[in-house]
Amino acid sequence: MKIAVWGSELTAWATAGALAQTGNDIYFVSHSQIKDPITLMGSSIRNEPGLRDLISDEFDRKRIRFAQIRTALGIQIHVLSMNASQFDDACDIVEKLAAKAEGPLLIINQSHFGVGATDRLQALMNRRAKQVAVYFAENISEGEALDRIRNPRSMIIGCDDEAARLTLEALFRPFSTRLENLFVMSPKEAEFTKLSIIGMLALRIGYINELAKLGEHLGVDIDVIRRGMGADPRIGRHHLSPGCGFGGNTFPQTLDSLAQLLSDRNEWTLMQTVVHENEKQKELPFRKLWRHYKADLHERKIAIWGASFKPGSASLDCAPSLRVIDAIAAQHAEVRIHDPEALENLRQRYHDNPFVKTISGKYDALKNADALVLLTEWPEYWSPDFELMQKQMRSPVIVDGRNVYNREQIESLGFTYYGIGR
Amino acid sequence: MALTDKKSWLALRDHAVDTGNRHLSELLTDDDRFDHFTLRQDGLLFDYSKQRITRDTVELLCSLARECELNDWIDKLFNGAAINTSENRAALHTALRLPDGNQLSLNGTNIVQTVHETLLRMEQIVERIHAGQWRGFSGMPVDTIVNIGVGGSDLGPFMAVKALRDTHSVHAGRLEMYFVSTMDGSQLASRLDTLNPATTLFIISSKSFTTIDTLSNAHTALQWLRQASGADDELLYRHHFIGVSSASGKMTEWGIPTDNHLPLWDWVGGRYSMWSAIGLPIALETGMQNFRQLLAGAHAMDQHFRNTQFETNLPVLLALIGIWNINFLDIRTHAILPYDGRLSHLPPYLQQLEMESNGKSVTRDGAALDYHSCPILWGGIGPNAQHAFYQLLHQGTEPVMCDFVVSARRYHDSGNPQLQEQHTLTLANCLAQSRILALGDSVVDDSAKASVFKRYRGNQPSTTLLLDELTPYSFGQLIALYEHKVFVQSVIWDINPFDQWGVELGKQMATTLIEPLSQHRNEVGFDPSTNGLLGAILRQQETDS
Repeated sequence: MKIAVWGSELTAWATAGALAQTGNDIYFVSHSQIKDPITLMGSSIRNEPGLRDLISDEFDRKRIRFAQIRTALGIQIHVLSMNASQFDDACDIVEKLAAKAEGPLLIINQSHFGVGATDRLQALMNRRAKQVAVYFAENISEGEALDRIRNPRSMIIGCDDEAARLTLEALFRPFSTRLENLFVMSPKEAEFTKLSIIGMLALRIGYINELAKLGEHLGVDIDVIRRGMGADPRIGRHHLSPGCGFGGNTFPQTLDSLAQLLSDRNEWTLMQTVVHENEKQKELPFRKLWRHYKADLHERKIAIWGASFKPGSASLDCAPSLRVIDAIAAQHAEVRIHDPEALENLRQRYHDNPFVKTISGKYDALKNADALVLLTEWPEYWSPDFELMQKQMRSPVIVDGRNVYNREQIESLGFTYYGIGR
Repeated sequence: MALTDKKSWLALRDHAVDTGNRHLSELLTDDDRFDHFTLRQDGLLFDYSKQRITRDTVELLCSLARECELNDWIDKLFNGAAINTSENRAALHTALRLPDGNQLSLNGTNIVQTVHETLLRMEQIVERIHAGQWRGFSGMPVDTIVNIGVGGSDLGPFMAVKALRDTHSVHAGRLEMYFVSTMDGSQLASRLDTLNPATTLFIISSKSFTTIDTLSNAHTALQWLRQASGADDELLYRHHFIGVSSASGKMTEWGIPTDNHLPLWDWVGGRYSMWSAIGLPIALETGMQNFRQLLAGAHAMDQHFRNTQFETNLPVLLALIGIWNINFLDIRTHAILPYDGRLSHLPPYLQQLEMESNGKSVTRDGAALDYHSCPILWGGIGPNAQHAFYQLLHQGTEPVMCDFVVSARRYHDSGNPQLQEQHTLTLANCLAQSRILALGDSVVDDSAKASVFKRYRGNQPSTTLLLDELTPYSFGQLIALYEHKVFVQSVIWDINPFDQWGVELGKQMATTLIEPLSQHRNEVGFDPSTNGLLGAILRQQETDS
């Protein structure tokens, strides 16, 4: 099938790649002067595992090509994978498509425009002329975007048109080998379901972080509590790791729109509290450092391991590390950062900040450091050479923002250790 | 020569006899009156057409100013002469708003440079706080500012923060700002109950850093932080206190580290100090760019005051009209009536500015005045006062001069038609009141037939200060206008407006009363009335314990 993909987000690229690979002809709509797809993707998307090769292969095979708007206007199926802030642009596009279309038109919206957005797009089109907008809840997670598209466990489709549903199912059939649940509901319900899932996950994280804080006061190790809770089948283990806040692109954005939606109706501030507390949580490692050094970090050297918002991604979007780096640098302390993937993004962001140094060797980052702050649990940080670490550091202090180390072991090696909720 | 012997004074007295009884309803029949009696400086329109004056009055008043050598005094003010003679100091608040790069030498230093260095220091502090990078003892960013100060360290910043809230910096959105001044702790105690010590920063503002009101509140704040944090004092001083004072040594002695000192100078009077680091809360509220706009507006008024002939000089005319009303029409109370809720603290601010400056009864040479000086200032937000004291303005026995202050434009870009309508309503009320005060019930038909209880005699003079809109710049103009007005009046009355000896004795006397009160000794050494009150208080306290 000929499909136009609109947007420049990770979802747009991953969807384009996955659909091209299953034999579709993808028209990637772009006004950019940049004609090399890999350059156009930008560094954080480019580093998404498997994506770079897939996209360049599919461009080579000509199953993905760049298209101007006027070319796209002649196509019947359109995937909107746009940024949450681009709803007005989406309306413009859909109006133009509806005006030009001679036959049926299918708009597959998978952007986070909020509840009711797909219906509003539908209202710009002529349903009697078989112009239909549907919502397809993307399930992408940075670091495993392609896997999530190719092997979803469940699919949520917001569609109230039979013909459109059949087209959609045909399009995504190659990805349904491991599919356990397929839900078809109205677009508004599907959008709300997507929002509710993200809200629920955020609540779990917010809750365990809250418990971790309490645990610290009570002298209780949150890990023990978490394992006990997770064993209850009504609760389960997922999304119950305390840490220094969640980041990324889709998660906080979606959560914000949910919180906004709720506060607009003046009904519920629980979600706002979760969002607000998460922002505070991001600075928690800084506060531990601050208290360790009696509120004086001036001219100290602080090493950071891991800056991307999660392992497997180079993205710094809403990453807790940014808050910690800004906070330390603002105290005129030197921040020495190592990250397996995100150094290039960090350099772009901090090139004019004399207090921020990006360092390609993780032990080099520790040189003369007054503390190590671990913020992203990349596998290579799990079992480091602790002796070498001690030799490198000026003071053996570890702030473990992801609870990857064993306190007893670390302390027996002579480190001062701060975890989250321990 | 004594003021009352001056030629122009005598001429004004005769002129008042000839014309002073002319009713405003007669004067306002002249269609050109508005053109003759309004002046504009940038975004500020000064309308004095509802004053009981003629063109001759203005001419005579300007002669009086010349006879009092006002020009020389203006030069002395701006050049830094020690015109605060009783304390041998300059009064250089105008230097606080001189643009960078100017030169003004005082005792061998270029104080303009000093001023701008301080502005840069303020800017660093403001940026750090706005960026959420000023951290409290727990490492949380500071989100609450409590300004502890009294008099000039309170009224100016408090008024300005309220006035400029609409133009607040986007970065200040997260900041809560409070002002604490009262000695009895009632503001502070209830405030502290609701604040988070980990995220609260105190600005301790005191020119001398000996003001007991301020220091006792500051000590309560410190104690509150100690209890909440368990941290050592050094840490608390470093992260929770900024001091603004001309007494750096005293700030250090109290505990504030020098990095957190912002200087003030003895050539700035407390009630003229909101343009200095005392204005830190203003900068925190509106952002440094707007604070610099405030200074620019005041500087524009300075330039106008210094370089414009008296006949078209806003501060000079505002002052001279006051002199006319007070000394020749015998009107000795002055109401300040802002038609704008944002200016709610303008009346108390002007009370201090005018009454502490010119509330004096001896000349610079120490001779007793044989004429009236500063009137009693009072006022309130106009539309609210309409339901309170306007009754007296319209039908009481006291002649009162009024200043209406209002903006022509407000809410125009808010996209909120309800608020725009409210502004229209406010403007309508402002114009209605000054019109009735001037004309009385002659503005309606058949008023003469109404019963005497319903009559309005009118002839209450007023000035309207119409801002194009209330911005940091126009607000700077407005306040500088009043500052210079006060100065001009002081020159005419031949008094020193920059000292305040009348507030000293009370402090001394309070000190002598602390001991008998705290040690429950019923002294008899005071006057019978004070002895009696002291005894009544002590008896009450005994029943408590």
